[in-house]
Amino acid sequence: MADNNYLIDIQDKPSSSFSDFRKRLLRSKGAVFGASIIILLIVCAILAPLIAPYGYDEMNLPEGLQAPSQKHLFGTDELGRDIFSRVVFGSRISLQIATIAVGVSLIIGLVLGALAGYYGGIVDFGICALTDTAWAFPMTLLAIAFIAALGPGLVNVMIAVALVSWAGYARLVRGQFLSLREQEFVEAARVLGMSDMRIIFRHILPNSLAPIIVLTTLEVPKAIIVESSLSFLGLGAQPPTPSWGSIISSGRSFIDTAPWISFFPGLMIMLVVLGFNLFGDALRDALDPRLKD
Amino acid sequence: MGVQALLKYIIKKIVTMIPVLVCITVIVFLILHLAPGDPVDLIVGPNVTPEVYENIRNKLGLDQPLTVQYFKFMSNLLRGDLGTSILQQRPVSEIIIERFPVTLELGLSALVISFAIALPAGIIAAVNRNSWPDYACMSGALVGMSMPTFWFGILLMYFFAYKMRLFPISGYGTLRHLVLPAFAMGLTDAAVTARMVRSSMLEVIRQDYIRTARSKGLAEKVVINQHALKNALIPIVTLLGLRMGWLLGGSVILENVFSRPGLGRLIVDSILARDYPVVQGAMIVLTASIMAGNILADILYAVVDPRIKYN
Repeated sequence: MADNNYLIDIQDKPSSSFSDFRKRLLRSKGAVFGASIIILLIVCAILAPLIAPYGYDEMNLPEGLQAPSQKHLFGTDELGRDIFSRVVFGSRISLQIATIAVGVSLIIGLVLGALAGYYGGIVDFGICALTDTAWAFPMTLLAIAFIAALGPGLVNVMIAVALVSWAGYARLVRGQFLSLREQEFVEAARVLGMSDMRIIFRHILPNSLAPIIVLTTLEVPKAIIVESSLSFLGLGAQPPTPSWGSIISSGRSFIDTAPWISFFPGLMIMLVVLGFNLFGDALRDALDPRLKD
Repeated sequence: MGVQALLKYIIKKIVTMIPVLVCITVIVFLILHLAPGDPVDLIVGPNVTPEVYENIRNKLGLDQPLTVQYFKFMSNLLRGDLGTSILQQRPVSEIIIERFPVTLELGLSALVISFAIALPAGIIAAVNRNSWPDYACMSGALVGMSMPTFWFGILLMYFFAYKMRLFPISGYGTLRHLVLPAFAMGLTDAAVTARMVRSSMLEVIRQDYIRTARSKGLAEKVVINQHALKNALIPIVTLLGLRMGWLLGGSVILENVFSRPGLGRLIVDSILARDYPVVQGAMIVLTASIMAGNILADILYAVVDPRIKYN
């Protein structure tokens, strides 16, 4: 909650052309590295059956608990399942969280933030109270509360992640709308008799797109961590679904003899989260170079 | 800034927190009461006569409208009664009082570790901006930020408990049990905190009075220590309260890694056992203490920064 200072800073972005922005982004090593990891994740998820040498649930008991080798790059678990294959298939779950859960939370936050910022008054008051409450809860804790009600499972984790991560968007969009609705071009649109919906979607929203994109790049890693934490606790994806969090959890019983089971999926989480964080930071700097401290 | 004005400010802060707290109780209450599954079935099992079933339903007040149930729940809550655990058959408040110190101990020690690392790292990074100490600290912070704490905890457990046998693998009781989880949480949190300390310090270094101090020929050391640091520490004090809340929430995961019998472990165990009164109570207590951390942050800020007006 305290890591969101950039939301305030980012609001008046100077007008700069897209090619300038692209140049700045490509010059940043972090952005390139981050983007490569993100692309790798997407490729892994889409081509999982082609990349993985074994099925994610293919058991082979005689080959159980083998250390990493050429045959099993990341070793095997107690049931002889290939950890590399499981990790590759696990990327699908992380990508689903990144797109579906974060997408839904974006829509919720966008609608609520726009309503609050555009209409103000009692609507604003009500939505702000709700947003502040959601904001006060630590993300993981609130997600656990939703899981308590909905029951464990991957779909429920997605719902929970969507329901806990919209508050950042709502706050950002509300702030954008508050400042933009007083601008002359919005006033002009209103004088011309445009409908509220048209003003919101055609005039205000496109102008607040940049910070929303930055926030999304930084919300995705949080969502991935929440999902893997819940799956680790046994509240998320259920076996044999190879969520990275649940693979780590299942490796705990063998940590002394087969540490690779828990090690590799955790490394993947770290890389993916790092990729999104690097890309998000670079994106923010490229969109507004003045912010780069 | 009189004591009276400060007191007034504190009371005002607490009052503004009340609606949020009420919202939290509503949310936790609703979440668990709209949950699928019949709580009566959980208590008595499926094989009872309809009379017994109705009797228990009646006793729990589940036959009444949701609003009535909520007000009953709230009036009990205000009297410190959080209900009875279905599993353990004893007051939820009693269980929470047992477990809370375990969570608090971990949260506080992680906070100390986090700030002991983040303060110097953030300041060194800011003072040496865009040179190697800055890059080193900030790369470290970025990596630390990207690590899931539970995985980092398992790594520490593997190296320091299994391989080197320096600390117990898991459990609770002695100081040695505390070391690994506290470091797992403290180190990952230090990453986030160091970034904030750095930007807060940079903010100050940019100010005119720092330029003045430099231009009147003061040694760089004096400028940093006497002028910059003191002012940069003001927002950092607020961070203490905020991170405390954050760490209390984060303990949910690490308590499960290291089998520490705290509130977080209690919540997860109770969810899996569908012991809803316990989930409800523990959730409210944990969230309320996180909010207390946030209020504390505001108050500390007002105490430290003479520019803050109390109204």
